[in-house]
Amino acid sequence: MKNNDPHFLDVLINDSSFINWCKKSNQNDIQYWDSWISKNTDKIETVELAKAIILGIRFKETTLPNTKVELELQKTLALINTSKAPKKTFNLKKLVPYSIAASIVLVLGLLITLQQYKSNSTIIHKTAFGEIINLSLPDGTSVILNGNSSISYNQENSRDINLTGEAYFKVKPMPAKKVKFWVTTSDLKVEVYGTQFHVNTREEKTDVVLDEGSIHLVLDNGITKEMSPGELISFSKSTKNITHKKVNLEEHYSFWRDGTYIFNNQTLKEVMKNMEQTYGIQVSFDNKELESKLISGGIPNQNLKICLAAIEKSADIKIIKNGNSIHIKSINNLNSSK
Amino acid sequence: MEISTEKSLWYLFIEGDLNAFSSLFKHFYPSLYNYGLKISGNTAITEDTLQSFFVYLHENRHSIGKVSNVKSYLFISYRRALLKGLTKERKYTSYDDSTIEESNFTLSIEELSTRQEVFKLKSSVLIKLLNSLSAREREAIYLKYYSCLNTKEISEVMDITYQSVLNTLQKAFTKLRSNTQTNIIQNIITTN
Repeated sequence: MKNNDPHFLDVLINDSSFINWCKKSNQNDIQYWDSWISKNTDKIETVELAKAIILGIRFKETTLPNTKVELELQKTLALINTSKAPKKTFNLKKLVPYSIAASIVLVLGLLITLQQYKSNSTIIHKTAFGEIINLSLPDGTSVILNGNSSISYNQENSRDINLTGEAYFKVKPMPAKKVKFWVTTSDLKVEVYGTQFHVNTREEKTDVVLDEGSIHLVLDNGITKEMSPGELISFSKSTKNITHKKVNLEEHYSFWRDGTYIFNNQTLKEVMKNMEQTYGIQVSFDNKELESKLISGGIPNQNLKICLAAIEKSADIKIIKNGNSIHIKSINNLNSSK
Repeated sequence: MEISTEKSLWYLFIEGDLNAFSSLFKHFYPSLYNYGLKISGNTAITEDTLQSFFVYLHENRHSIGKVSNVKSYLFISYRRALLKGLTKERKYTSYDDSTIEESNFTLSIEELSTRQEVFKLKSSVLIKLLNSLSAREREAIYLKYYSCLNTKEISEVMDITYQSVLNTLQKAFTKLRSNTQTNIIQNIITTN
């Protein structure tokens, strides 16, 4: 027998029980391999080598600063958008149904805005279920509007906005004139000069999360509040509940903007509540136990079908869709009922 | 990012969804950037090639075949694009694949975590040992432990067989282990 047997080495480094032994993570595996090694001392070289390969070299986790990645992304997107035009002729046939749909939407949209314009010159942007749009307001402020949400403002002043649903604001500062920017929801009013923040008015309350700068809130009951970056303030007009706390900005407050929901050990009930609001569906559960299942991971949020498939997989459940109602079953129940 | 998320984002990206494209970009840009920098040793070239790589991906997304593993697909195609770019860059100097990698796939002490389970060595000693390995061995180690690719993915990215990845890892770690042992013995001798 050779000192190092490459085939045996390959078997070892792919064996989960052996990996457990190397990482000392499972008592049974540790006992098994300890005794196995004492009986197979001729393989000690290969075993030690396999252990070295599995534990390996530890590198520091170095990532680029987010701002750098974002900058590169914007540059790349700009290049993609400029090179888009000549490409269009290429796939014309494929585009026909889309363009018909798009023009219908456009015409409808135009009609609606025209009507709005005639009546009170209020401009409204509204998203459908599951749709996310990127808006640029006349003053240079950018808004990302999540699904099933809308903003409206008077044509004369795009710095005074009404919001229902969920949106992210990147307000363009106007330091020279010190012009404020307002977002009004049914619960409160946000007052800023130039900053980035996130507002969610779902679930009968308004959540404001501040990314950068500082903002000033005027709650519906007259109380005013100052916020610092990384803080969340939540207020409900009906219950008069105020929450003011530090939050992790990396968490789900912001990820919907990239087209992904990030769930970090959230219960299935909370996750489905989110889906109900974004897609306008009704969710029911087979039993209470299912509601408290925990989900972690990223789920793409722009296509309900993909979204549900991803949830099904990560929570190990069965989702039955019937029109707008969704019923959640556990996989075991399904099997036993058949 | 979970594999299922990667796959569905990839699917949406092929369909032309720019949000999915942005998510993939943000997720993979840092690791591809670090990998490219290791190969080229030049930030400007790395940034330029990476940008045109992503633009190319977007423009040609309809002609991309079925991708079963998004991460290794991106590593393979970016590596190819970068090497092509480097050849162009150094048109006038004699160039071959190996010399560039030989000179540039160097690891530095800042990249090492202080916790090293197997080799109970100072980082400075370990990094010396690592850099004494051949460039291909270093690249395999980098891809496995820094970029977290598995053996099959490494073989695809480096365009060698599964068996040669295994052999490369085996050779590298045998060298490291024998060096470690002599080192420890030396330490004992000198301290006593």
